[in-house]
Amino acid sequence: MSTLARIGREAFRYTPLLLIALAWETVSRLELVSTTALPPLSEVIAAWIDMLKSGELQNNGAASFYRGVSGLVLAIGIGAVLGIGMAWWKTANILLSPLVEIFYPLPKSALIPVTVIWLGFGDGSKILLIFLGCMLPVTIGAFNGARASEQVLVWSARSMGASKLRMLWDVVVPGAMPELLNGIRTALALSFILLVSSELIVAQKGFGYLIGYLGANGNYDAMYAVVLTVAFLGFAADRIYLVITKRVLAWRE
Amino acid sequence: MPSQAQIVVDNVSHMYRPARGRAVLALEQISLEVREREFVALLGPSGCGKSTLLYLIGGFLPVETGAILVDGKPVTAPGPDRGIVFQHFALFPWKTVRGNVLYGLERQGMPKEEREKRAQEFIELVGLHGFEDSYPSQLSGGMKQRAALARTLAFDPKILLMDEPFGALDAQTRGLMQRELLAIWQRTPKTVIFVTHDVQEAVYLADRVAVMSARPGRIKTIVDTKFDKTDPHIHKAKAFVDKVDELWDLVREEAIKAQGKRS
Amino acid sequence: MARVEQPDSERMFPVWAFTLFSGFLRVFSILVLLAAWEILAQSGAFTPFQLPAFSRVVVRIWQDAVTGDLLINTGLTLYRALVSFAICAVLGVAIGVAMSRNKIAHWFFDPIVSVGFPMPKIAFLPVVILWLGVYDVSKISIIVIDAIFPVIAATVIAIEGVEQQLIWSARNMGASNRQVLTQIVLPAALPQILTGLQVALPLTLIVAVVAEMLMGGYGLGGAMMTASRFANSPGVFAGIVEIAAIGYVLVKAMALIRHRLLVWHQESTERS
Repeated sequence: MSTLARIGREAFRYTPLLLIALAWETVSRLELVSTTALPPLSEVIAAWIDMLKSGELQNNGAASFYRGVSGLVLAIGIGAVLGIGMAWWKTANILLSPLVEIFYPLPKSALIPVTVIWLGFGDGSKILLIFLGCMLPVTIGAFNGARASEQVLVWSARSMGASKLRMLWDVVVPGAMPELLNGIRTALALSFILLVSSELIVAQKGFGYLIGYLGANGNYDAMYAVVLTVAFLGFAADRIYLVITKRVLAWRE
Repeated sequence: MPSQAQIVVDNVSHMYRPARGRAVLALEQISLEVREREFVALLGPSGCGKSTLLYLIGGFLPVETGAILVDGKPVTAPGPDRGIVFQHFALFPWKTVRGNVLYGLERQGMPKEEREKRAQEFIELVGLHGFEDSYPSQLSGGMKQRAALARTLAFDPKILLMDEPFGALDAQTRGLMQRELLAIWQRTPKTVIFVTHDVQEAVYLADRVAVMSARPGRIKTIVDTKFDKTDPHIHKAKAFVDKVDELWDLVREEAIKAQGKRS
Repeated sequence: MARVEQPDSERMFPVWAFTLFSGFLRVFSILVLLAAWEILAQSGAFTPFQLPAFSRVVVRIWQDAVTGDLLINTGLTLYRALVSFAICAVLGVAIGVAMSRNKIAHWFFDPIVSVGFPMPKIAFLPVVILWLGVYDVSKISIIVIDAIFPVIAATVIAIEGVEQQLIWSARNMGASNRQVLTQIVLPAALPQILTGLQVALPLTLIVAVVAEMLMGGYGLGGAMMTASRFANSPGVFAGIVEIAAIGYVLVKAMALIRHRLLVWHQESTERS
């Protein structure tokens, strides 16, 4: 299919969203609904531009970004190591998998007040929350991925004289990639949720805080602007992640 | 002169249109007549469209070119006059054997007592007595096929469409099922159209065998295969063996052509 | 793909012993965890504020039970989560069915589901509060907004995946379109729809807790926030234990329901 046709098809696919945007603007302009509750989309966009100019958007965004990335990097790094370690060394598995099973059904958002008790209202509590909450999907993904290592590949590596550590690096880790990357995808989405939740409830800066602040001050068009920004960022992060991982996995073949 | 055949396939062609990719001609100008209570086999290599032809007769696929008449009336939709049995059984996994067999009878609006009795009759006919309350996942392949057969026979279609029904079974079970099918057919004669790629099966079961060409499927030739089915050693009789050889040659020709097209 | 496995001859124990053993291990490790918690708390490595002793937390839970607070809070959170779950189940399956049978419905909802799925939909909570106030309606709405997505997605995939020959068989036996949908397609799609519901259930609890934390008042989330504002750390930890317990019970209950509904299905996995 030609590129033009492909673009056309994608545009057609997302047209309902455009229709919703148009409906929003129309309904609001015609004052069919209270304009406080639903400010026109055009005013929301204007407010967004204002915040961009004043730097309010970027400053809070940077704070959120810093927390999210830090927590996520920790979660991925330690989670992946733990997961692969559990798959590779039986003792680690015996010790740690009951812990994994216990903490898996715990709603991670329940940890918000605890992190606040431990580390207060600032960055630390958010980073800790994201780290603790997002580690589990990564660990589970790494574990399942490493366990599924092709028996044949492991044996052939062993027969070629590879040491255990070498095998781990050359065979098991690449083999674990698809499941690990999927676990990270889950962790990515979860990090957004935990970040937004904790910032809405207990924060002094960041996107979530900004939303609450604007709402409390009745600055609703700006509030909408930030809400949509956050929602869209979550969506974009997931899509970009998919594109990158598809490349990584294809390159691996 | 009006045809006395029960099923008339008149110059039917069919395009296979996949969701992605180009359309392909699956059947080309098929004409075939089947008389009442005849057992006809459709024989051919994989991909020759024999199942497609069956689905067209069954009304599961729309007839776009040509016409298919059953008892003089064109086929437009599936219906209980043409019962179908699939290769992979298509049993409803959430229903027991009894539940599956009852389904067709329920759709016909048969009163409760009557349909329970009839269902039990057919379950026993196919030899599944004792397994009425089992789920398909608990049955072996052969048993599943019997259940599928019972389900279709129960609502008494005058025509039986069978799509490689024994293809998923092991050789021993297959032989057993073939004999049982013949026994059932002799007891309650119906028109049968039987799709298979197994030459011996076709020659043994059918009165006539329509050999189909590789895609696009055409009827290459129609051969009489009436043998004494009650003879337990019929498979070794010279006439039988010769007929099998004859048809094997025809099919092999087409199978090679089909391979050629694919590569 | 083959797992890295020990051949049976190299196993130390037979398989049944392993399953029994792992069951014990689970209970055992919970006990070990609790014991470690208690020891760590008493050891003085952390202040009683940072890590209240498990015993202290149990006392707090007991107090709440006695005053009736535990029942009220747990009941409210459960009520909100389960009502939302019911709405998600009915509405989600309905939308999923509509999407798979109606081209327009599919065209309209597909981008909404596709774009909405990875969004942190909790961000819409302030908007929902703006529209619907600070009552249960808002809480239930945001939970539904969040948890309905996996149900819709699972339903669409499930229905599209129904074996065509099952539908053909039913048509063959004279079933009408409506009968095919209710008697064949939905039962055939049930396993995967249930999977979607199993994803949605814990989600309803999570979002309920977060919504309660933000909006305060009664409910496990609200109680935890109150406790943290009063710097009552046993209260906060009690909340974690309670929520964890409820989460566990809900997941287990759902698994049991699945097992019951899919008796015919599970057996196929046992057979292979």
